[in-house]
This record gives sequence, C-alpha cells and structure tokens, in this order.
Amino acid sequence: MAEPARTFRAKPDRPAPAQTVGAVGWMRRNLFSSPANTALTLIGAYFAYWVIATVVDWALLDAVWQAETRRECLDAVGRSGACWPGVFVWFENLIYGLYPKDQIWRVNAGFALLVAWLVPLWLERVRSKVAIGVSAVLAYPVLASYFFLGGDKGFLWSASIAAALTAFVWVWATAIAERRTGRTLGELVLARADALDADPRHHRRLLFYTAAAGWLVAYALVALWYLPYVTTNDWGGLFLTLVISGIGITFSLPAGVVLALGRRSELPVIRLICTVFIELFRSVPLITILFMFTTMLPLFLPVGVEVDQLVRAIVAVCLFASAYMAEVVRGGLQAIPRGQYEAAAAMGLGYWQATRLIVMPQALKIMIPTIVSTFIGFFKDTTLVSIIGLFDLLNMARAIGEDTDWLGLFIEPFFVVTLIYFAFCFAMSQYSLNLERRLDTGQRS
Amino acid sequence: MDATETPAPDQHIASAASSERIIEMTGVNKWFGAFHVLKDIELVVRRGERIVVCGPSGSGKSTLIRCINHLESHQEGQIVVDGTELNADVRNIDAIRAEVGMVFQQFNLFPHLTVLENCTLAPIWVKKLPKAEAERIALAYLERVRIPEQVHKYPLQLSGGQQQRVAIARALCMRPKIMLFDEPTSALDPEMIKEVLDVMVELAKEGMTMLVVTHEMGFARMVADRVIFMDQGEIVEQAEPETFFNNPRYDRTRAFLSQILAH
Repeated sequence: MAEPARTFRAKPDRPAPAQTVGAVGWMRRNLFSSPANTALTLIGAYFAYWVIATVVDWALLDAVWQAETRRECLDAVGRSGACWPGVFVWFENLIYGLYPKDQIWRVNAGFALLVAWLVPLWLERVRSKVAIGVSAVLAYPVLASYFFLGGDKGFLWSASIAAALTAFVWVWATAIAERRTGRTLGELVLARADALDADPRHHRRLLFYTAAAGWLVAYALVALWYLPYVTTNDWGGLFLTLVISGIGITFSLPAGVVLALGRRSELPVIRLICTVFIELFRSVPLITILFMFTTMLPLFLPVGVEVDQLVRAIVAVCLFASAYMAEVVRGGLQAIPRGQYEAAAAMGLGYWQATRLIVMPQALKIMIPTIVSTFIGFFKDTTLVSIIGLFDLLNMARAIGEDTDWLGLFIEPFFVVTLIYFAFCFAMSQYSLNLERRLDTGQRS
Repeated sequence: MDATETPAPDQHIASAASSERIIEMTGVNKWFGAFHVLKDIELVVRRGERIVVCGPSGSGKSTLIRCINHLESHQEGQIVVDGTELNADVRNIDAIRAEVGMVFQQFNLFPHLTVLENCTLAPIWVKKLPKAEAERIALAYLERVRIPEQVHKYPLQLSGGQQQRVAIARALCMRPKIMLFDEPTSALDPEMIKEVLDVMVELAKEGMTMLVVTHEMGFARMVADRVIFMDQGEIVEQAEPETFFNNPRYDRTRAFLSQILAH
C-alpha cells in the first residue's frame, strides 16, 4: 500500500552574502584578494599616476602657448614642455590640408550633409531605414564630391547631382512623414492618388511623376549652383583621411560580401576568380598595391588618359579592403550551421532569398566585432598613402616639423594626431559594442 | 513480444490513405563519396498515408526522407513526388519543396526572427502571400500547436518542445501536401517529447501524408499505416504496425525491436 504523495515546495531564494556584492565586494575580489594581488594593485596605481602626471606636466603645465617660432619655445622651457603654437598655426592644414581657406565651409558642409543623411537611421518610428541607408551609400557620394570638387558640370554630372539632391529631400520627407503618420512618403502619395483617380494602374505613375517633378526642381537649382573648382592636390589632412577611408570602408563591405559568396559558390569559374582575387590582394602589402597603382597603372592606360593620383589611391585601398573583408565575411558565413541553409531550402527559398533573409542577417551580426576592427585597421592603414605623396593627416603632421619656423617640431603634432586617431577609432569600437548590444536583444537563450 | 503491448484496434487512428500515389521511388541508389548509403529503394506512398521509418543509426533512413525534398540528390533511379520527377532542374525542386514540409531533429528555427516571422517568412517570399494573410495563417497554426502568446518571442527563448512545435507550425504554414519528420523528438528532454508527439498525432488525424523517422514505437503503433525497417541502406521489411511488431519476418528486425523495446 503506497503512502499518499507529499507536496514538493521549492525553497525561496536568499540574497547573496553582503561582502561578495557591491563596490567593496568588487574591490576585494579584483584588487585585494591576496597579498601579491594587493602589491600589484599598488604598483599599478603608482605607475598609472606617474604616466598621467608626466603627460599633464608636459602637455599642460610646462607647455608654451604663445610663440612665433620653435626657437622661442625652446628658449622659454627647453624640451620639458610642449610647444603648441606651431600646432595652432598649422591646425587648419591638419584638418583640411591645403584646401582654399575661403572654401573650407564646403568641406564642413559636405560632412554635415553626411550626418544629416544618416540621422533618420537613428530615429525611432522610421521604417524606410534600408532604403535610406542605400541612398546614403549611392547618392551621398555624388553630392559630396560636388561639394568637395566643384567646377563646371555637364548635363550628366548635373543630372546626377540633382538626383542625389532629390534623394536627400526624400530621405527627410519620408522620415518626417513616417514619424508623424506612420506611413512612408510613397504610401501618402499613393493614398492621395487614390482620392484623385480610382484606377490603381495610374497610381505608380503618379509616384514616378512626383519623383520626376522633384528631380526637375532640383535640376533647375543645381544649374544655378556653382562652386569654384578645387583640385584634389589641395586636399589633405583629416579631410583626406576621412575621404579615403570612408570610401574604402563603404565599398569594402558589399564587395567583401559578394567576394565571400563567390568564393563559396558551387560554380567553379566564379569560385576561382574570387579566390584568386582575394588571395592576390591579401598576400601583397598595401604599400605595394599603392605603388603599383601609381606607377604601373599608366602603363596599362591609353596614352593621354590621366587618372587622378587620389583616385588611384582610393581604388587601391578599395580593392585591398574588399579582399580582407571577403575573408572576414567568409568566416562569419562558416559559423552559420548547415541546418539553417537546409531549413531555408526545405521551405522552398531560393539561394538568394536564403542568403539575404536567413544567412546574411545572422552572419553579419556575429561578424560585427571583426568587421569593425577591420574597419579600424583600414582607417589607420590610410596613413600609407603618404608614401605616394598624398598629405593625409599623418603626413600633414610631419610637414609641420619641416616648416622653417617650426623646424623639428614633431612630438606635438604627432601627439595631436594620436588623439584624433584615437577619438575616431574609439568611437567606432564603442559604436560597434553598442550595436552588438542592441542587435542581441531577445535572441540569447 | 507480450501480447498485451499491442494496441487495441480502436486505439489506432483510422487510415486516411487513398489510392492515389503521391510519392514513388523506383530503384533509388545513392552514394556519399564511395559509401553506398541507399540501395535499390522501392517505395510507394499513397496520399494520406502515414509511414514510420525506423532502423539503426547509419541505416540511411534520414537520407531516404531527405531525398524526397531533394536536400540530398540521388544518383540512380527515379523519385516522383506529386507527379513531378526530381532531377537537377531547379524549378521542379523549388515547386516540390514548397509542397513538402520538413521538421528537423535540431528544429532549425531561424534564431534572428521571432516565432511569428519564422512562420510567415516562406509564405511571404515563396508563395507571395500578403503579409496580413500570412500572419493570419501563421497565428491559426501556432494556436493549433499550442504556442499561446509566445509569437513575438525569439526561438531561443522557448523550450525545446515549444521550438519543435513552432517548427511544425512553420512547415504547416506553407500548406504542404506531405510532411517529413526527421527524428523530431530525438533532441528533446523526456518531459517534452509527449507535447510534440501529441501535435503530430493530431496532424495524423487530419489526414496529412506523413513520413516520420523516429524511434517512438508507441507513436508508430498508434499512428502508422505502415512501419518501414531499414538497415545498411536497404528497406529490410515493411508492414502494418500490428504485423510489424508482433510478427516481424526477418531476424534483423527482431533483433532491432528487442533492442529498442527492451526497456
């Protein structure tokens, strides 16, 4: 005869012991857990103090802030303090290179435009984010290059600029419409069309007419707009660094995705082409590629065809970066279990659908840390363009110490340049961490 | 075998099989490299028929059902699914796959999509259904597999049993004519096996054509119209469950059954 079953009740949770949690618990565990650990903590703290104190003395307390030449600095404090006036005099060049002073607003406007283009991507309730992102990649460079280059423009050039301008207006119009009404600009236009004309076949046409009208207005404005020409020889400093790395980074991701897919393709010819490209560009130093493009490219071009030095550098950086990115992407693709492909295939999704909807979103998410660290690498690698005579941020800093007034002034400009590089790279890595956290919500078990 | 273990006739779900042949495999042979994984497979499945495939691991049972939606391609012989022959022609294959639902041992839900999105993805992209309708269908099937109020969660937030039921709903959303189950309960904790089998039993009652690779012999007795035993790439024998369990013809089948029914 069995006893009646007893009722099982789980014990309630108790809080953890006080000494193991909070700031005190953290310090006990991490800094002072043993005598050796305590000694190391104290030595480390002293070392950190010593480094910071030395830098603060040199950069701030003992520094010279006003002088005409480096001689004056040396006479005042010798080498124990920084000599900042040289950096101040050259600061505009560090940022803009030799860009004409009265035109510098164009560079600022160009970058402000980029920010304005991207802001809707961070706003809530904006639905067309993919389209806005694509427009930023395809249309923004057109508009920005006219801001930066200027000069006379033919019909094709004007038409593209007008299209880019229309795209920019669309980005904000649709972003505002979506935030206010929850519907995209296109949907609003279609709704309006529905009220005017019941035949749905005419509706798409109205959408087209609206876009065409916008383009025509933009074209008229662009025709009236003239910016004086600035040769790329005058581009330099941080501006040039951002242009080269920005284009390289933006190009490398889609190109890397295509190359990585190609390398995994079942078609032998495509696989071979992609593999050869990737291996070739990955096994050659970027400097060599830059040299090849600047010295050997003219040999392959017809006589009389000149390719801008900057364009050559950008093409070289783009090819190099896409080969690297391809391997990063391939690594991410390897991490997607076979079951995902099979499940997609079993439901009748084709190769491209499965890649776009199932594989890439997952692969790109796990690749974010690697992708961003590759981006940071590219950003710093652009310093190599100084080898072929472009005055990027680093090369411009070196030029300061070769100016007769500031002869030998190297440490201070490099210190500033270090801070600028650090600010950009740190911002990129923080953004990537933030992105990881946001994309991860709800998907962990 | 103990006679009391056989299910009473009324416990077995009445067969819904029609005379129409929906799958026909003739002389199918397949190799993985040099390994001969399927040997001279002859199999006819009628519409509404429910078939359980069992056998030791490596016997080719998974490969057999994976050939039916062409996740694996066979090298010799002919496979005809719902009047379409499976060959290298891509359009055929996508058409077949849209009509054949598959449930995997490891669920293979898409972790970056919510439960609902998992279920609407293929109807929207393959069948080109409007989103609202795809969601209506998905919610109906999710209710049937008893996933209440979890539709906006991500798969990894669910238990294994729940994930597998979502996977079944996801396959059903394509309104398949045939459902393939590849060891659907083998990756589950014992407490969760029943909830998945219950859903499968219901599906069987509705007359779905089902091919199930499983070792759940209780399920086989209750649901199967036919049990197939495979070993070393061959179909050793196939019979109605009653005959199969009480009176297997081959010694190999008897040895296998005594192994899995021993505990």
